[in-house]
Amino acid sequence: MADQIVLRHVTKKFTTKTLGDIVAVDDFNLSVSEGECFSFLGPSGCGKSTTLRMIAGFEDLTEGEIELCGRIVSSKKKNLYVPPEERGLGMVFQAFAVWPHMNVFENVAFPLRIQKMNKSDIDRRVAEALKHTSLTGLEKTFPSDLSGGQQQRIALARAIVTNPKVMLLDEPLSNLDPKLRETMRFEIKELQRRFGFTIIFVTHDQAEAMAISDRMMVCDMGRIVQIDTPENLYNKPCNRFVHNFLGESTFVNVLVKDGKVYAKGDERQALSLTAPKSAAAEMVVATRPNEIALTGPTEDGYQTHIEKRIFLTDRTEYLVPVGEQIVKVQTPHRVAFAEGEACCVRFVEPMWYPVEDAAAEKERSRRQLV
Amino acid sequence: MANVRFEHLTVRYSEHTVFSDFSLEVESGQILCLVGPSGCGKTTLVRALLGLNKPETGTITVGERVLFDAKRRVNVPAEKRNIGIVFQDYAVWPHMTVIENVSYPLKKQRRNKQEIRERAMKALEQVHMTEYANHLPSQLSGGQQQRVAIARALVTDSDVVVMDEPITNLDAKLREEMLLEIRMIQKRLGATILYITHDQQSALQLCDRMAIMRQDGSLCQCGTDEDIILRPADRFVFEFIGVSNFIPLCVEGGRTYLDCGEKIPFADLPAGVDARGKEMGVRLNDVVFDRQSPIEATVTSRVFLGSEYNYFLRLGQRDIRVQQSTLDARTFGMVAAGERVGIRFLNPRFYDGKGAMA
Amino acid sequence: MRTNYSDLAAVDGRRRLNMDKVMTAVCFVLLFIIVIIPIFMIIYNAFFYEGKFDLSLFTGQMTDSKNLAAMWNTLKIALFTTVLGTIMGVFYAWLLGRSDIPMKGVMRALFNIPYMFPPFLGAMAWDILLNGRSGYLNRFLVSTLHLSGMPFNINSLGGIVFVEVSYYFPFVFMQVVSALERMDPTLEECARIAGAKQRTVIWKITLPLVKPAISAGALLILTTSLAHFGVPSILGYAQGIYTLPTRIYSVIYNTGGSFDGIRQGAALSVMLVIVVALALVLQRWVLSTGNYDIIKGKSMRPTLIKLRGAKLPLLLLAVLTLVLIVIVPLVMIVLISFIKAYGLPLKLENFTLAQYARVFNANGTLDSIKNSLFASITAGVVCMFLGTLVAYVVQKIKPRGKGILEIVSMLPYSIPGTVLSIGVILAWSGALGVTLYNTIWIILVAYMARYLSFSMKTSSAALLQVHSSLEEAARVCGASHTESLADITLPLIRPAMVSGFFLIFLPAMREVTTSILLYGPYTRTLGVQIYSLRDAGMIPQAAALATVAIGLIIALNTIVTLITKDRKGV
Repeated sequence: MADQIVLRHVTKKFTTKTLGDIVAVDDFNLSVSEGECFSFLGPSGCGKSTTLRMIAGFEDLTEGEIELCGRIVSSKKKNLYVPPEERGLGMVFQAFAVWPHMNVFENVAFPLRIQKMNKSDIDRRVAEALKHTSLTGLEKTFPSDLSGGQQQRIALARAIVTNPKVMLLDEPLSNLDPKLRETMRFEIKELQRRFGFTIIFVTHDQAEAMAISDRMMVCDMGRIVQIDTPENLYNKPCNRFVHNFLGESTFVNVLVKDGKVYAKGDERQALSLTAPKSAAAEMVVATRPNEIALTGPTEDGYQTHIEKRIFLTDRTEYLVPVGEQIVKVQTPHRVAFAEGEACCVRFVEPMWYPVEDAAAEKERSRRQLV
Repeated sequence: MANVRFEHLTVRYSEHTVFSDFSLEVESGQILCLVGPSGCGKTTLVRALLGLNKPETGTITVGERVLFDAKRRVNVPAEKRNIGIVFQDYAVWPHMTVIENVSYPLKKQRRNKQEIRERAMKALEQVHMTEYANHLPSQLSGGQQQRVAIARALVTDSDVVVMDEPITNLDAKLREEMLLEIRMIQKRLGATILYITHDQQSALQLCDRMAIMRQDGSLCQCGTDEDIILRPADRFVFEFIGVSNFIPLCVEGGRTYLDCGEKIPFADLPAGVDARGKEMGVRLNDVVFDRQSPIEATVTSRVFLGSEYNYFLRLGQRDIRVQQSTLDARTFGMVAAGERVGIRFLNPRFYDGKGAMA
Repeated sequence: MRTNYSDLAAVDGRRRLNMDKVMTAVCFVLLFIIVIIPIFMIIYNAFFYEGKFDLSLFTGQMTDSKNLAAMWNTLKIALFTTVLGTIMGVFYAWLLGRSDIPMKGVMRALFNIPYMFPPFLGAMAWDILLNGRSGYLNRFLVSTLHLSGMPFNINSLGGIVFVEVSYYFPFVFMQVVSALERMDPTLEECARIAGAKQRTVIWKITLPLVKPAISAGALLILTTSLAHFGVPSILGYAQGIYTLPTRIYSVIYNTGGSFDGIRQGAALSVMLVIVVALALVLQRWVLSTGNYDIIKGKSMRPTLIKLRGAKLPLLLLAVLTLVLIVIVPLVMIVLISFIKAYGLPLKLENFTLAQYARVFNANGTLDSIKNSLFASITAGVVCMFLGTLVAYVVQKIKPRGKGILEIVSMLPYSIPGTVLSIGVILAWSGALGVTLYNTIWIILVAYMARYLSFSMKTSSAALLQVHSSLEEAARVCGASHTESLADITLPLIRPAMVSGFFLIFLPAMREVTTSILLYGPYTRTLGVQIYSLRDAGMIPQAAALATVAIGLIIALNTIVTLITKDRKGV
């Protein structure tokens, strides 16, 4: 499949009064192919929204170029800038951005009226767009009389009515309640299947991104950290940040001594783990709470006890001391331990990361203030 | 510290009865989470306890002290009840510094300056906010403001602390942290806490005991987290506490079938259950893949959610949802859309069908 | 969820004697005295004669050709002022709010200046410059260009409209600028994505979205202009151009303030009230068709529109406008205040400080300043407390009849100042056994009625921000009702109360419309004194006093800005 959106060395710098120069987007290179659903994921201030706004044409680039459907739309070198209205995109915003002074029909018909389409075509295409977004019958209603979910559907209908090749979705579900969010997610996928557009989906919600995307980009502090499929990102995160950002994580600080691995704070009992060759003396072992094996005290593993048990709807959560740390373990209800009971924990194929320095954390919180 | 007893409480707003003849006890030194859908009257109950509204009948007792008794016309005013409160919107006074906020209840008790200062600082220490003592609330994040509110509720050693949706306005990661912290503070001080929320998940993470209220204001179960999860009292609790599939059953010629548009034989009915007019409720993660099972379904779609896969299956003419943990996915293997797969139901529960209930 | 029952009030309400009830009662009584009685007196006197219903006075006034002409003038002036002022306000609001024009901050402050000064000072200045017979600029143009007649005549309907527009366009300007600022920029971005050019977005999206702000501002101009006295009286008298407010004044003035004249005035007032009421109905109707929420989402800087080539010409236009409507009148007044005698050329050798000495030695000047200070400060303080009290009763106690309280306290705001004065005269010159006429108290009572709604509005808005849980938290912490009011609620709305005070104090200091009918020999106010000096032909002296007033206004505004700036984090 052809690459439909290509970013080459895209960089954006801002100058702020209080915090000085900020590189919001630092040398982004990526390509999204036709029909793909691609997510930009990251904490606030990571550069994902700025990138989207550069693709849409609301922000200029400091460096680099952007190609849409084979046409360069922004380029610093060639001093080229195509205004948003000529990029032929569909876009849905977090705050719905439905025009309150127009009824549903007029909202959806607006892009077609701009194209000076004749009336019967407008009627036909609006009716079709409304049908696919389950808004038929609400044509004459004004947005203020509709619920949040319906308003977001208007925004969707308005975006698909011109049949764009690329759809930009800027946190379109964050203003909806959790139940509705899931329904809308399916509807968006269904629309994509029907119309075949390429999606760029910006979100800070990892579960949402994983559920909807073919591939995703995780960024942090203005840099791309990792681009991959949801499964690969979850199972093989390239660093501690990605691990922590996607799904629940358990980190254990460990010491590596003479090929043996000890939990920090307990050097009497080794963990049954083999450190990778490149491991430093102090490392972080990362895994998921539901991928830790919790067994009886006689089995193989690290001997400890249950500190606290918490019943959740679909699983039981145990807090278990490992060295000087408390580790969260999740099991199905059928694995039943009582508080205080002796047990064993074993880490199954964990990831190994170097100990993160505090400077990175500080930089992240500084950027969130911008 | 003391226990709290609500007995035969009725609250009415003009024509609308919020709840009637409501009784509940919060045991001393425990966290009781009161959970219910929004609008079920949780907040009204709290306001009755605080003295911010007036019930029609019943009594409210904290320890040995009667705060409200409709018959004996006792109604202790709000300012004399000695109850700590943490509101959802923090309700931290924006014109006072952190330390002024926390000192205020002590000032109203006319304590001496030295004591006020010491106790306020101690309360701030509990919530790790000592270094912000002289900040104004506008300089604090939402989580920090809520800590101030908690310190203010703890500072007078109230008989009981009420928390009304205290973490709802915080973001997900912070919510988790605050829950842990509330738990730890409660352990340290042995406080009695009545915790109100509509979010069963956080209630489960926090509570010693949990009480579940129905939309109409009645109490349907009160017990430990284990009771609620493993032995839900009725269909409402079962549905409220988590997402599940419901499949109607029918009996024909002495045999039980799953009624999914087409009838699928169902052999695993426990003894003593009459399947007629019943529905079977199964949690999403209690539907497991089993190649040996005679019940087969077609996979419509699979979504990866990190710790689990979400499957949509077509069983007869019915859609059912399945959650498969990543660990299980590794042992069983994944199933692709379009494939047929055998399924088995663990821990099924049988309730009267929705039609029969009405 | 229903958590907003004000049941705390209900719980407290069970006690026999409590503050809530006292406060409610005080509100009703004071509003009855200040607002209801004067309004009732106007209607009574217009339609009843010696206790009997009598329409003859009213119909007599209605058919008088002079009155009809005045009414016609009033309407013409108001309509033209509204249309031109709205266009100007919207244009500059857009220019400063959405384009990349430089020096925004400075220009925005300057555009608000006309709002600070009383329009009659502007009328005075323009009369000096462009008077049809003796205007300085007119004479200058005639002599340099060798014209046969005066090129401009400010003493015309057009002149009146020009001056009113330059002082009233900020009503629209301020409303629209703030609406543009609060508007969610994605609403516009969305239209760009949909394929609309920048120009199309302005016409199809931006303007329709700020329509409520535009119409609110426009109707404010309309009602203010309808009731305005200063400008038409200064510019219109010479040419015999009357409007309803100036006609009312002259009727009363010509009859020497006799009861008969006042009754005629009352009848004319009813005419004016009818016109204003129609405008208000219009406002209701316009606003109800477009009331929507455009403030949403995360705050984002709107993308500014690049003016490119048009930047310099537009900047020049804005600067010229500012010079014309702000700088020229102010400079003119100051210059004239130094002139030895009115009519002398503006040369250095003709300048003197004697006018200042004269004006301060003249009878009543110092008194007028004292009177104005006394009346405005007292009205400000009393209204600050009373307005807050009414706001508290309406917002928090919510007694039966709170709707009535709200309407009654807002009512005087929609009633023209001239009309209100007549009501106050009728009520407090003996008819009810109390005679305040010719004392400063009658002016004070009128100010209070006129400005009460200002403080009530700001306090209401502030009280709405004080969520009931803040007060409840205090109660649960052991504070009594009174203590929670004193410790929590009052400190939280104190800034709003202070700005409510200044909102009353500042306009009251420069007031003319109301006081011109109420002043007595020893109770001239600052505005009245300037007006009378000018009326008596002592234009340089009037200008000198006006300069003092301008200085005073600038000083006070600076103080207000300083006070409101460093407010503790609320």
